[in-house]
Amino acid sequence: MKSTRFPGIYEKKGRRRSLFTINLVPGRSVYGERLVRESVDLGHKASKGVTEFREWDASKSKLAAAILKGANQVGLKEGHTVLYLGCSTGTTVSHVSDIVGRGGFVFALDFAPRVMREMVFLAQERPNIAPLLADAKKPEEYEDIVKEKVDWLFQDIAQRNQPEIFLKNVAKFLKKGAYCVAAIKARSIDVSKKPGLIFRSVQKKLEEDLTLVDKRELSPFQRDHMLFVFKKR
Amino acid sequence: MDRSRIRERCIRTTKQRIRESVKDDNLVIQAVSSIEEVTKAANILIRRLREWYELYLPEFSRKVKDNQRFSQLILEKDKKALMKEHKFRDTMGADLPKQDVDAMLALAAGAQRLYELKKSQEDYLEKLMKRTAPNVHAITGTLIGAKLIAIAGSLKELSLFPASTVQLLGAEKALFRHMRTGAKSPKYGILHEHPLVSQSRDKGKVARMLADKISIASKVDYFKGDYVGDKLRKELVQRFGEW
Repeated sequence: MKSTRFPGIYEKKGRRRSLFTINLVPGRSVYGERLVRESVDLGHKASKGVTEFREWDASKSKLAAAILKGANQVGLKEGHTVLYLGCSTGTTVSHVSDIVGRGGFVFALDFAPRVMREMVFLAQERPNIAPLLADAKKPEEYEDIVKEKVDWLFQDIAQRNQPEIFLKNVAKFLKKGAYCVAAIKARSIDVSKKPGLIFRSVQKKLEEDLTLVDKRELSPFQRDHMLFVFKKR
Repeated sequence: MDRSRIRERCIRTTKQRIRESVKDDNLVIQAVSSIEEVTKAANILIRRLREWYELYLPEFSRKVKDNQRFSQLILEKDKKALMKEHKFRDTMGADLPKQDVDAMLALAAGAQRLYELKKSQEDYLEKLMKRTAPNVHAITGTLIGAKLIAIAGSLKELSLFPASTVQLLGAEKALFRHMRTGAKSPKYGILHEHPLVSQSRDKGKVARMLADKISIASKVDYFKGDYVGDKLRKELVQRFGEW
């Protein structure tokens, strides 16, 4: 097990490269991912002996996919407060929760009750997750809960107007100079247009307010998806 | 407020909202999906049952095409009685001892139970649909109405769709193929199962008008207006005849 250039994210090179995070709740696998116990010296962590890692499946998590595709920077580290829009059942959120650790905090938002059910179970196991059943289109509905400005904002919501929703939330909740990440699904913005065209227009729109740091196309893990990393000016 | 308090509050309110999000349409969707799956399961079992029984009396399996009747009849009557009744002079089937026949009849009994289950769920769904979406139910019947709600995601979603969308629910694959590649546009989706559409020669036209009426009906159902199902149904009957 080796550390990567991303804080809190580790990798193992075998036949394939795979990513890992340190399990915040040792012994528990969240979505059937592999748990690996290994004794490693983590340097900055005052951890001696065995550490339990959770494998981060890139085919189930767009953030992991972007990292495997060589993203330079995603801007997430230990201790961060995170607003996560479109958390679904919490697959990626669980790893974000591992990375930010007990000193960090994740607001995990989705508006579908079905997936929120799983999310609540996850939040009950992890002391740094607060679930929110709310609509990302209406930040007013959760502004009195997410009172502090966050260090990192992630959006994965497959909506037609997701660039607007992203900007709205970034403006309201993200600290200046902090990073925000948007996973854009071309097919849910317009099925009839070429994905390349859509990505370009989305990028143009977001660059009006934000500074582009990185972008990664997510094939073969996801089809017609692009993950953008921005910095708030 | 400190974080653990925020978190606890979030968990509490989220749980409450999830609890309150359960509506009659969630029940409709589960029930209709269950009926579809029970039907599929029954078909799989009967396919095996026929294959199995045809070692014993293939002529009878050939004769009775209806699955449910087939499994019921072989449970009720033995080989001799069936041969006599259907005037089979001989059979290609093997003579099998009782224990081997019993094994296949046990499968038939299992299939029968699935049919009973399907029936009871259909009765339940009918009541549920009459309560949740009486107007839609009046023109589509139980299964189609419920499937429309299932595809739309909820009665609310269905009621917000324009008729043109209702017309194509269940034809998403063909619709997106049409939009991407310019292939022919589909004319109906799930509505094809409706007797008015399936028995018509001009299916597109019937599907269009049927979708119009469903669109109206679903709006009345969702916004809890007065019952207009009979009126809508009458308009369809006048145009296309009884079904």
